[in-house]
Amino acid sequence: MALFRTINNHLHKYMAVPAIILFAVFFIYPLTQGVGVSLTDSNGMTVPHFIGLKNFADFFQDERAKQDVWNTVLFALGSAPLLNLLGFLYALVLDRHFKGKALVRAVVYMPAVISPLIMGYIWYFILQPERGFLFRILQPLHVGFANSDWLGGRSSALIVLIVVNVWQYVGMTMIIYLAGLQSIPPELYEASKIDGAGYFSTLRYVTIPMLYPSIKINVVTNIIGSLSVFDIIIALTDGGPGYSTESLSIYIMRELYGSFTGYSTAVAIILFILIIIPVVAYLRFMKRREFEM
Amino acid sequence: MIKKFMSVMLSSLMLMTVFTAGCSKQPNTPAPAATAEKVHITFFTGKVETVDLMNQLIQKFNTENPNIVVEQEYQKDASNVMKVKFASGDVPDITTVVSQDYIDQGKYVDLSNEPFWSRNLDSIKALCTDVKSGKQYKVATNVTMAGIFYNKKIFADLNLKEALTWKDFVANLQVVKEKKPDVTPMFIAGKESWTLGHMIEFLAHGVIKQKLGVNASRLAFINNDSDKLAFDAPGGCMDTFAARILELKNGGLINKDAMTATYDNQKQDFAAGKVAVISQGMWVLGDLLKLNPNMKDDIGFSPFPSIIDGTKPVVLSAEDSVYAITAESKHQQEAKKFLEFLLKPENLKTYSEITKSPSAFKDVDADWGPLKDQATKALANAVNIPFTDTPAGFSGDDAGRMVQDLLVGKYKTTLDFAKAYKTTWDKAWKATHN
Repeated sequence: MALFRTINNHLHKYMAVPAIILFAVFFIYPLTQGVGVSLTDSNGMTVPHFIGLKNFADFFQDERAKQDVWNTVLFALGSAPLLNLLGFLYALVLDRHFKGKALVRAVVYMPAVISPLIMGYIWYFILQPERGFLFRILQPLHVGFANSDWLGGRSSALIVLIVVNVWQYVGMTMIIYLAGLQSIPPELYEASKIDGAGYFSTLRYVTIPMLYPSIKINVVTNIIGSLSVFDIIIALTDGGPGYSTESLSIYIMRELYGSFTGYSTAVAIILFILIIIPVVAYLRFMKRREFEM
Repeated sequence: MIKKFMSVMLSSLMLMTVFTAGCSKQPNTPAPAATAEKVHITFFTGKVETVDLMNQLIQKFNTENPNIVVEQEYQKDASNVMKVKFASGDVPDITTVVSQDYIDQGKYVDLSNEPFWSRNLDSIKALCTDVKSGKQYKVATNVTMAGIFYNKKIFADLNLKEALTWKDFVANLQVVKEKKPDVTPMFIAGKESWTLGHMIEFLAHGVIKQKLGVNASRLAFINNDSDKLAFDAPGGCMDTFAARILELKNGGLINKDAMTATYDNQKQDFAAGKVAVISQGMWVLGDLLKLNPNMKDDIGFSPFPSIIDGTKPVVLSAEDSVYAITAESKHQQEAKKFLEFLLKPENLKTYSEITKSPSAFKDVDADWGPLKDQATKALANAVNIPFTDTPAGFSGDDAGRMVQDLLVGKYKTTLDFAKAYKTTWDKAWKATHN
């Protein structure tokens, strides 16, 4: 009985062991291996040589990498704020009581459950000039832009990517805001009403501060998602035309395939840092705001 | 007390389950006798147009050889995926993906002493021979050609002739544009970057290949002999190629959606008679005839026009449908058996007739398609060139993306494009020659 008691007293310590092993095998080990590979000239075929930080230095001389960083940042700057703004507005509207609310919520959320690859192909067939769905619908109306090659232009392709990404994931952002809105105690609104606050004052001083946890989750996940975007670009533009919509994630994959294993691993570590910086900055900012509250 | 005891028992049970699950199957545990005799081999391909056909042949092979199971794996970006397979150790037994870099790394089995070589065409055997070692690590079942496919009906209506010079080629397209506004003079499937990459291989590299000859040009590409390749030379093959492509674009001689149109779009429009000219290989023929069987007498085939004055038109005449057995395969004998099966005359005949491409084996008499005579004429009228031996990290897709960049105005001058091409080529070559 004493043995059972001893096991029982210490068992909780060992219950974490499987999780720690999995974490070590699938995260810590690949990460340390990755850091090691990033310091070599590995091409995946021949014996690699240690080259120190050369891969990291090369990154800053690499014009295509710089363009990809720019593309990725532009995509994130376009996507993350729009996702939050529209998700928040949708949540405000759909938090009200009206007939067919459940249906509208489902319609807004539905794109989020479709694979981004499939979504990309669907939008490709919608937007293709001279043969796409949009062209066929708008052609009889003689609308000028119906035949525009949205995906064939360097800037327009990026705008399309942002729009499609926002359209797909706005439902996800909305659901988180909606959950946040529904957890705000009604007493706060009543108190606000008694104090004579109008709709916008209540929104500013009651609703938004109470939504800080939801805002935090949404902003952080949107920053991470936007900076590591991959699948929707592959399906819609394949990073093109040329490399004009190539994201850093796609660049990493292509460099890996292109015999630059060491270099691509170094770029992956740089992308990790690129994502961490805004996330940490934002979390610190939010922590201060919450503390002030 | 009972509660505590139960929790200890349950926790112990859980831990036991985890450990026993982990230890339940040793890697060396012999499988039951019935399944141990079955050998599974993987056939890895990047040829989308032959997936169905190969499935039929594999089914036939599997039935004839109950102890061997061949499984086909197709990947769109096969040359790049192959690299990952080699790096990860998930190596297929037999593949259509062969690259000089992999040959240099000893990734394939030497097939030089196999009996089938006596049946293979001498010219194709030469193209299957590794120029460095003189050995054969791959075997090609077919001969492929690439050139200009044109709509004979449109050409006849407008009284146009096959163009062998760039000037005549542009003049033909100009006439189509003026006289038949509903017809696209030349259709480029730019969304699929490999189609643009092929244009570099045939039009631009064609200049190098005809200047140096087949073997010397292969050596120049493989060894990255920059003096002979001269990718960045003003007025050289890349600079001129870029100028020619922009000339087509700026003259409105290619489709408006050249950046977003797919290979399927190209085939559909050509088969529907909406396009006068496309740049493609014989692999397109089967699909064109499937889309419009009545078109068989209206498809014309001619060489690529010379892009630099003083050079000759070229036509790709190269090994097609190559197979190699990987050195890491644990089932090389079974893979060889499957290869021998594929090389049986009756299977080669089926393959040729379905893919509409001539066989590379002397003992195969296949009725491969309506372009037989025109292909023979094109081969006689132009310099026959092989595919380019590109570095493993610079695929046709990569080259094609650079042409996309060119078409959307990324490069200020055509020489900038040529220089960027050389830089990218050199970088990829150095990656595997460190």
